[in-house]
Amino acid sequence: MDHFPTNWGRPRNDAFDAYGTYPIQQRPNNIKDNFNGVQRTQQPIVTGTSVLAIKYKDGIMMAADNLASYGSLARFKDVQRLHAVGNHTVLGASGDMSDFQYIQSLLDDLIIEEFTEQDEHTLGPAEIHEYLSQLMYGRRSKLNPLWNSLLVGGYKDGKRFLAYVDLLGTTYSASTIATGYGSYIAQPLLRKAVEGREDTLTEREAQAILEESLLVLFYRDARSLDKYQIAKVTESGVSISESMALRTSWSFAEGIRGYGAQTQ
Amino acid sequence: MNSLVQRFDTNNALSEIKRTSAIIEEDGDNVSDLMWGSYGGFGNLATGIPKFNIPAVPDPSAFLRLHTDDHTDPSCRIKIQHGTTTLAFRFKGGVIVAVDSRATAGSYIASGTVKKVIEINPYLLGTMAGGAADCQYWETYLGIQCRLHELRNKERISVAAASKYLSNLVYSYKGMGLSMGTMICGWDKTGPQVYYVDSDGTRLKGDLFSVGSGSTFAYGVLDQGHHWDLSDEDAQELGRRSIYAAGHRDAFSGNTINLYHVKEDGWKFIGNYDVSKMHYEGPGDIPGAPGHGYGYSIRTAGKSSADPPTS
Amino acid sequence: MPQTRSFDPYTENGGTILAIAGQDFSVIAGDTRQSEGYSIQTRYAPKVFRLTDRAVLAVNGFAADGNMFVKKVKQRLEWYRHAHAKDMPLRAIARLIQTMLYAKRFFPYYVYNILGGIEEDGTGAVYSFDPVGSYEREACRAAGAAQSLVQPFLDNQIYFKNQVPAPGTTHPAYLSLPDVLSIVIDSFTSATERHIEVGDGLEIYIVFAKTRDLQDFETIRAKNVHLIQELTVAEDGERIFVLRRDLKKD
Repeated sequence: MDHFPTNWGRPRNDAFDAYGTYPIQQRPNNIKDNFNGVQRTQQPIVTGTSVLAIKYKDGIMMAADNLASYGSLARFKDVQRLHAVGNHTVLGASGDMSDFQYIQSLLDDLIIEEFTEQDEHTLGPAEIHEYLSQLMYGRRSKLNPLWNSLLVGGYKDGKRFLAYVDLLGTTYSASTIATGYGSYIAQPLLRKAVEGREDTLTEREAQAILEESLLVLFYRDARSLDKYQIAKVTESGVSISESMALRTSWSFAEGIRGYGAQTQ
Repeated sequence: MNSLVQRFDTNNALSEIKRTSAIIEEDGDNVSDLMWGSYGGFGNLATGIPKFNIPAVPDPSAFLRLHTDDHTDPSCRIKIQHGTTTLAFRFKGGVIVAVDSRATAGSYIASGTVKKVIEINPYLLGTMAGGAADCQYWETYLGIQCRLHELRNKERISVAAASKYLSNLVYSYKGMGLSMGTMICGWDKTGPQVYYVDSDGTRLKGDLFSVGSGSTFAYGVLDQGHHWDLSDEDAQELGRRSIYAAGHRDAFSGNTINLYHVKEDGWKFIGNYDVSKMHYEGPGDIPGAPGHGYGYSIRTAGKSSADPPTS
Repeated sequence: MPQTRSFDPYTENGGTILAIAGQDFSVIAGDTRQSEGYSIQTRYAPKVFRLTDRAVLAVNGFAADGNMFVKKVKQRLEWYRHAHAKDMPLRAIARLIQTMLYAKRFFPYYVYNILGGIEEDGTGAVYSFDPVGSYEREACRAAGAAQSLVQPFLDNQIYFKNQVPAPGTTHPAYLSLPDVLSIVIDSFTSATERHIEVGDGLEIYIVFAKTRDLQDFETIRAKNVHLIQELTVAEDGERIFVLRRDLKKD
């Protein structure tokens, strides 16, 4: 035995059993491998960037742009990344778009199942989020993750709900949440504008805050687009807007010096 | 290319582990009807052979290595606690078992109060070196099996049989990352017995063993002072003194000493001793003790050229 | 052998937990910040959970594993309640946690657990675990991001390590509740100052033995009515409270 403690508890890494030290009854034999040639998602392929969401007076509001990138290529420019789940919940996704589409189909099935019960119960945002966190954690535990960061927002029984779940099954809730690049760039802006004012922000103000954050993201996130949608969930249900365009202004770039070819 | 060869090679560790994971259920908790009724809540210890959740990767032991390996990757997340200096020896009066109480995770002392002697039953002791959880869990499990042996055979299990049970058990997990270096000590029909069992599958019968990073220091003192006809008091003192030596010279060992004595009528806990206190004051006024500290400068005060007698 | 970089199923969500056992009470605390890397994900994500009227579990490490683990422990305790018509004793919960952690020995929960509460003999107890289930009963334990900041402070203040009692006196065998609460609060305010992953909020669970006179606690409670909430379910048994405080948010 190796007596040095820092060498302890380390699984062996024998490429082959040189000295025949494995138990005879467990001698390796020719078994089929566990995966039957199936590959798991080890990296996202077609991806969506940040999703932003905040709580406001009447419910929650969520925003995401319409871009699905293929690496650095802006591949699909009219993709909807906000998805209504039942009448009380909206789901926003960043990360792998094919995994998101799979999640959408699962949720649609779930809502149909629930509807056919006709038992006067409907799934609210908390239930949808719980379902998704079990799904995401279960898939990570099979080491076959769904490569997304998801935001679940909703309004049911007079209560707002906003929470996050990602490919590892990590969950949390807060009054402002942003995924991906937005967690670095937009989240501080959202917190400054929203924290402590959740119960007084009007719909107009909330939308202005999100649009301002999307604009900042569009200026700095190379995988973002100036076309976006905004979802609202209030007492009266879910509404997802048509695509809108950000009003950008590039005149400030005139004054910038020091980033590359300039005459002076 | 290498991985391709491995994938289709029939004689390697990977296909072995794949086979293991194929027969093991997905949910390690093994939720069955036995969770209800009078078994309710007792978990898999009550339901026979425990089942383990294995990660669904081609090479589960490489996966475990990646996340628990603090040697090749100090920033790895899961640091498994390590135990350190343990010893046990046989003499005419029984078996002396002495251990330190330090657990380290990298260079951090995770605990200074670890119980490294595991009381399997009133006649059997096991020691803990290596993965703390591996030792605690499997020696507890061994205790269950020893009790079942008693109930089935109307007599206590021999130390040889108990240690072999453990050795066969860890051997079936060979290569999966278990880490234990343990001494199974007891008194049976054949007298006092000590068996060394480790997670490589080694099982040795012997008179005197020491396990852990401080074992070399302990062996030095132990070999020098050990003989069969030691009195109980002198044997206990030898155990104490040996662990002190390891605690003094080995950075991964220390804090306190736990001393046990196995006699014909079962084991007895002798005491817990602070290593620093042993250095300066010694174990105090007890039989076998020198009456002063174990430290070199204490023992030689006024007797060396560097510290001459004041006459 | 070439190691291809594959999906890493673990992350680290910061925070610190701590528990101290008194003679006939137990205090279990944790901050409420959840972070990943340099980002604060939320300022309120509880890490300390009531299991029964006399057991509280604090979990720290990978939040998703922690939440799942607590959920499974609670499920097992409920099954026990259905089978035996009583709550599982604390030392049995400790052993249960060991077997549940060890069941995932080869795909560990990346979680450090501290279990605190009252034993059947009415003493306060703290059990601490490593991620694969080795455990030990102790008088106090800190775990998590600021373990290496808080534990030495506890060693000094609870175990009186490296302290010499004044001539003719001895160190007290048990600390009083007000002393323990002050030490807990100081531990967290200090860890907040020096560790970036600690802060935002503090939840302190306090469990009292059946027989305990709550006079000293009622004095504290009267001064902090809005901060303290009682969580006891059964009458005439152990009593359990939670004290919530703010920590610095920077």
